[in-house]
Amino acid sequence: MDQLAAREKLEQDVLKGLRRPGKWYLLGLAFCTLLFVNALVLWGYQASQGLGVAGIMHPVGWGVYIANFVFWVGIAHSGTLISAVLYLFRARFRTSFNRTAEAMTIFALMVAGMFPLIHLGRVEIFYYLLPYPNQRNLWPNFRSPLVWDVFAITTYLIVSLVFFYVGTLPDLAIVRRRMTGVRARIYSFFSLGWTGSLGQWKQYSRLYLLLAAFATPLVASVHSIVSWDFAVSILPGWHTTIFAPYFVAGAIFSGTAMVIILMVPLRRTLQLQPYISIDHFEAIAKILLFTSLIISYAYLVEYGLAFYGHNQVEMELFRYRALGHYSVLFWLMIICNSLVPLTLFIKRLRRNLAYLFVVALLVNLGMWIERFILIVTSLARDFDPYAWGTYTPSWVEIGITFGSFGLFFMLILLFVKTVPVLSMSELKERL
Amino acid sequence: MERREFLQLLGIFSGAAILPGCGDDRSASKLVSYLVPPDEGVLPGEARYLPSTCCECPAGCGLTVRVREDRAVKLEGRPGHPVNDGGLCMRGQAALWRLYHPERLRHPLRRDADGQFQPVSWDEALTLVVEGLRQARQQGRANLLLSGRTTGTLAELQQHFCQQLEVEQLPQFEPFSHAALRQAYGILFAQPEVPHYRIDQSDLLLSLGADLFETFVSPVNYARQLSRAIKQDDFQWIHAEPHYSLTGANAGERLILLPGSEAALLCFLLVRLDAADERNRLPMQLMAALPASSLEETARLTGLPKRRLEQLAKQLRLAERPLLIVGGIATSQPQGLQVALLAGLLQQRLGMVGNRVDFSQAEAYASVGSLHDLERLTERLEQDQVGVLLVSATDPLVQAPAALDLKQKFQRAGLRVGLCDLFNESAQQFDLLLPLSHPLESWGDAVPRRGVFSLLKPAIAPLYDSRSAGEILLEILQRVGQQVQNQSYQEYLFNTWQQRFDQQQLQQFSEQGFLSLPVSAVPHQFRPEAVSSQLATTQAATATAPHLILTPSIRSFDGRSSCLPLLSELPDPLSTVSYGRWLSMAPTAARKLQLRDRDLVRISSGDWSAELPVRLQPGLAATVLMVQGDLLSEAPLPTDARSGELIRRLDGVRLTKLGGAVALAILSGSSSQQGRGLIPDPVHTQEQPLEQTRFYRAHPHKDYRWAMAIDLELCIGCGACAAACYVENNVPVVGQQDHLQGREMSWLRLAPFYDDAGRASFIPMLCQHCHNAPCEPVCPVYAAYHNAEGLNVQVYQRCVGTRYCSNNCPYKVRRFNWWQHQRQAPLEQMLNPDLSVRDRGVMEKCTFCVQRIRQARDRAQDEQRPIRDGEVLTACGQSCPTGAIVFGNLLDESSAVYRLAHSHRAYRVFADLGTEPSIYYLRKG
Repeated sequence: MDQLAAREKLEQDVLKGLRRPGKWYLLGLAFCTLLFVNALVLWGYQASQGLGVAGIMHPVGWGVYIANFVFWVGIAHSGTLISAVLYLFRARFRTSFNRTAEAMTIFALMVAGMFPLIHLGRVEIFYYLLPYPNQRNLWPNFRSPLVWDVFAITTYLIVSLVFFYVGTLPDLAIVRRRMTGVRARIYSFFSLGWTGSLGQWKQYSRLYLLLAAFATPLVASVHSIVSWDFAVSILPGWHTTIFAPYFVAGAIFSGTAMVIILMVPLRRTLQLQPYISIDHFEAIAKILLFTSLIISYAYLVEYGLAFYGHNQVEMELFRYRALGHYSVLFWLMIICNSLVPLTLFIKRLRRNLAYLFVVALLVNLGMWIERFILIVTSLARDFDPYAWGTYTPSWVEIGITFGSFGLFFMLILLFVKTVPVLSMSELKERL
Repeated sequence: MERREFLQLLGIFSGAAILPGCGDDRSASKLVSYLVPPDEGVLPGEARYLPSTCCECPAGCGLTVRVREDRAVKLEGRPGHPVNDGGLCMRGQAALWRLYHPERLRHPLRRDADGQFQPVSWDEALTLVVEGLRQARQQGRANLLLSGRTTGTLAELQQHFCQQLEVEQLPQFEPFSHAALRQAYGILFAQPEVPHYRIDQSDLLLSLGADLFETFVSPVNYARQLSRAIKQDDFQWIHAEPHYSLTGANAGERLILLPGSEAALLCFLLVRLDAADERNRLPMQLMAALPASSLEETARLTGLPKRRLEQLAKQLRLAERPLLIVGGIATSQPQGLQVALLAGLLQQRLGMVGNRVDFSQAEAYASVGSLHDLERLTERLEQDQVGVLLVSATDPLVQAPAALDLKQKFQRAGLRVGLCDLFNESAQQFDLLLPLSHPLESWGDAVPRRGVFSLLKPAIAPLYDSRSAGEILLEILQRVGQQVQNQSYQEYLFNTWQQRFDQQQLQQFSEQGFLSLPVSAVPHQFRPEAVSSQLATTQAATATAPHLILTPSIRSFDGRSSCLPLLSELPDPLSTVSYGRWLSMAPTAARKLQLRDRDLVRISSGDWSAELPVRLQPGLAATVLMVQGDLLSEAPLPTDARSGELIRRLDGVRLTKLGGAVALAILSGSSSQQGRGLIPDPVHTQEQPLEQTRFYRAHPHKDYRWAMAIDLELCIGCGACAAACYVENNVPVVGQQDHLQGREMSWLRLAPFYDDAGRASFIPMLCQHCHNAPCEPVCPVYAAYHNAEGLNVQVYQRCVGTRYCSNNCPYKVRRFNWWQHQRQAPLEQMLNPDLSVRDRGVMEKCTFCVQRIRQARDRAQDEQRPIRDGEVLTACGQSCPTGAIVFGNLLDESSAVYRLAHSHRAYRVFADLGTEPSIYYLRKG
């Protein structure tokens, strides 16, 4: 009987989130939508005028757009890690975060996927990048990492989407049960006739395990492939073999930070304290700390390679990163990514949610800067000194960047009001 | 009727209905409307090549005009022409912009009572001129004709016109009049002319201030001659100047003189060399007139080490065929006349006059005046003595020194008639504007130097209701009944030529576009006695630093070409500044004032001041500041009282740091090559590129593998190649804003790299057409791929614009179309129809002029033979004044490019990256 009551309370607690939105929610949603619409207008302006309205130039052909792309793909990363990998490892704290993390993955991927299109000179023929039979008998160039990107991102998006949807099925059925009218019919449609019979559960858990196993290698592959966009080139600072692990670690780092950024306010506003404990946050904070150490090590390795490699071009580039036009950003990145997370060695700080929230914000700032530094400085100072140049983002690029955050948080806000943010069925198992 | 039959009939009828709609007689006749129908059949799509002469500066280089469908689309230097022999400078390349300039005058204009310009017919306009001339004569006012340097038949017609109509012909106006030089030669040898310098016949060239590669008399000719001379082993070239010029940057050795010490240096050399040899000594009396010039004193005055001075004297003494050229800044200073005189004496003493200093082929500057003539004109204008003032093809209002205040006084003339091509600010000062045809639209001839005749033949029909200067003068003469009625200027020219040349010469003239006639030697008598008095004041007090030197500009000449957009788009070779004006100063001097590139300073002298951004110029003397003269035309430059030459130097200027920086388009990211060996120094030449491992199969090449060799010993960094590339390949001119953002579109750039001592080396950087091109594998859509002939091709239609290729290019030679570049009408008419105009969002780059390869292949295929070596000339290689760029088939072992690519001097840029470029550079020495 206790268990029944607890279940009832759990359902009520979690489904509180789906109630009629309040004023602040609507305001937040409106603000995010405004940012996104603004970005759409700017994109339209760019499409009509040409990429000249962006700040990218010769020799810096990639700028904020690609930095955003890598950033959002990185954000997309933790979802799978938390969901699939921790599922396979039977890490219990996963249950507190997995739903939101998975949603975050999908939304971040959607945002990320826009940027390759935004940065194209001729977006109207973007489909040349897709392998489809055509009368020109011409496939895309499979040697190009940009084509690999297309495959990596679409694979990841599809798998994540299926994984997310399958995971929500039992919960959608619960929502269906507790709703009336049109909403009940909608949830009924999406819950695919889930009844919760033993047979269904058996099938379900097998499928879920399979999907988790299928998604796990993607954790390594997607961001490795994104890193090859750079590593395959010959530019100093890009052409290096540590990029794949370095990028994967960086992606988990920023993705984990984003989970913290999302979960801390969610836990508070939806009063989920009983279900998401400080211990769970501490576990996530440890991942953050661990990946921070990995990327700090990667920074050191990069400098070590440049120094011991004795390649003039490489050495000049790494000198430039630390002391050149973008040095302020570089040191900000070091502070955010390498120094601030070190404080998480202190248990008291690790368990302080407000502090953790601030650290996560700084980490994401630092990781965005890392992508910017990495992309821009290598292009700004490559081989021919005559062609050196400096890049400053234009207001169009900045507007679109803010718009991408607008879109992401808009989707998250919509998600909060339509899907249970915690996996009720899994939480019930723990009761 | 059967079904098949019905369909057949339907096809026939609908075809018959559509066919008449295919052609429009009106537009067809407009497309091909030849002025003179060519002998051979003209095919649309087939280019014609017509001879002409470049009139962008007074040098008079021969041109080959490429005409497609009645539109001139490209100018090239005419091979074999005595002046330029195939080369053409950047101004010559840009001359097409003048033809299609949007601001061109389209019909005669007359200023009405309200000061507004109203179109009038030619008939009315010329009546006004005739009437004006008559009225002025009645009022006792003088009618004047002022023109730029004019030679050939037009000069004769001008004379005739002036005689017949009692118009006074003023000495011709040229800002670079070489007046001091001519005056000195007049005093010394009774030859008030600029002689033809035969650099290629000398074994030691000492040039003093003369900017041989920029504006001095005939830059392309000198560049050609120097390239021949440099190929000889024993040739030495020493250039001495106080500032830093492109010429100085290319000399074997550049001596930095203290400003104004040229005379002291020459004096020292003269005394030393005269004493060294007993024969042919100069008269004692003359030598006595020279100021004492001890070694110590000269070293102090010139700032050169004593050892170097001694050595210089020795070099000159030992040289078998020395040549001394002075000019430019050296003669545009208070002591300019002395410098020219001393140089003349030295030339005489060392036996250069009559051979390497050749008056028989003088450069036809005799009828050019000096600033004294302009001063006289302003006086007469002030006294209201001028009736009609005809100004033909020159712009004294902008180019006369600011001190003359000509613009103000110009208003005092009774009727100001301008024969101009552009409706610009100075054109608007006239009362009556007669639009001049572009030289490419008109008949004419030019005599750039004695014995050389160069043909002007219309390449296209006049775009507007304009006429050539000859036509206008002739018609005025006809109106007053002084000339045969109904004789066109063309007939007039033909008559003149028929009288001057015999039948064979005439044929040669019309076919090859130029004619070199043997010239009689000019007896020069040496008159030392006239010199003594002029030399007395040679030793002047040292001027106070810092000195502001106003240099000539390779891009705008004296400022006349600055209206051509291409020339603002191309960077200045030394500073790599494209748009805007700037002050060059030495890095050491800048460091003292804590100035960096683009920092704003005020420069003042007396009550004049100007604000300019700074550009650091390595190699410039610390006491010297440098601005290109046409960018600072308001500077209060005095005129030399004796020679009438402009003094292009201000001493004791004040420099104040204003704080703050301004946007200045500096295209170079670094003036040093950072030890990266783009141009190898001795350290790099010892390095062996690493053995490369190849994972992919090498590209197979069957018959051709196109490659280029660029000889850096010959490259002078003049930028003619880049200009030619712009015109040939429809490269857009994007303007200042894009340049400030680093978005210039030039496919070919000239990078000047300075070493620690400030010596410059130039390297033309264009697509290297790598065998293992980094741009190719990264393109997701195969827009960049390798073709069977070794070209790295860019398919514009395929390009989606990821810009990855550009990122991955270690040479950074790819250009992205950030905008849909607009061309203001009628500039679109000069587009080369052989290749496409790129859309926005597409990457582009050098194609090795693939359209020219294509043409050569078509021609070869027609004649069933392989393409010959030298048959494909890229636009850059064609234009290069020194012939530094050679293009050809690397698979052909007898080709020039094969030979050069296997030279011991050959290297490839960034060879250790394993890109295997198809461009072989030949290092110096």
